[in-house]
Amino acid sequence: MDFDTQVKLAIYHHFAETGCGPSPEDIASRVTAGVDQVLASYARLRAERVLVLEHDGATIRMAPPFSGVPTQHSVEAAGIEYYANCAWDALGIPAALQSPGIVYSRCEQSGDPLQLEVGIDGPKSSDWCFHCLVPASQWWQDIVFT
Amino acid sequence: MQPLVTIDQLWEMASTWYSTRLQADSRRPQPDEIRKIFAGIGLQDDFWDPSSDSFG
Repeated sequence: MDFDTQVKLAIYHHFAETGCGPSPEDIASRVTAGVDQVLASYARLRAERVLVLEHDGATIRMAPPFSGVPTQHSVEAAGIEYYANCAWDALGIPAALQSPGIVYSRCEQSGDPLQLEVGIDGPKSSDWCFHCLVPASQWWQDIVFT
Repeated sequence: MQPLVTIDQLWEMASTWYSTRLQADSRRPQPDEIRKIFAGIGLQDDFWDPSSDSFG
């Protein structure tokens, strides 16, 4: 397995096990490498759009579907609280974990809180909609805004 | 009016995109694959076409 794949998996597994983003030191320990090597891998993974990093190049803002910062979209699964980057990613967390969960968010139109149970095979029936503001060709122009 | 996606469609997007994310052979879909994923759930207009985007 190539080094960048090891780093990528270590990041995802850290998120899955803790609900939080890892430090470079956490990943260096998991893959038995130096922090400099891990940070170089972060930059390559960012170029492939696997990660979104903060300006320091070391803090993970996004490892989709996981968010490295608190957002309005939280997911509770197997006793762990996760943050998602958007509504799509909020459903992506139970899918990635292959575990049922509960999504907590809010309606952007009314401000009302939303709660959605998601089973192994998907969410319960709902008439809610996801409104995508940005065309697909422009998502990565500002993925945080998207 | 911007596109609206139902919860069922959103689940299809999310599960197709992320169900293998924690596996070693998982990889991010490329633009052609993205277009097919969206078309498979009825999202076929230009809004959902990533073709003018490109990345390494």
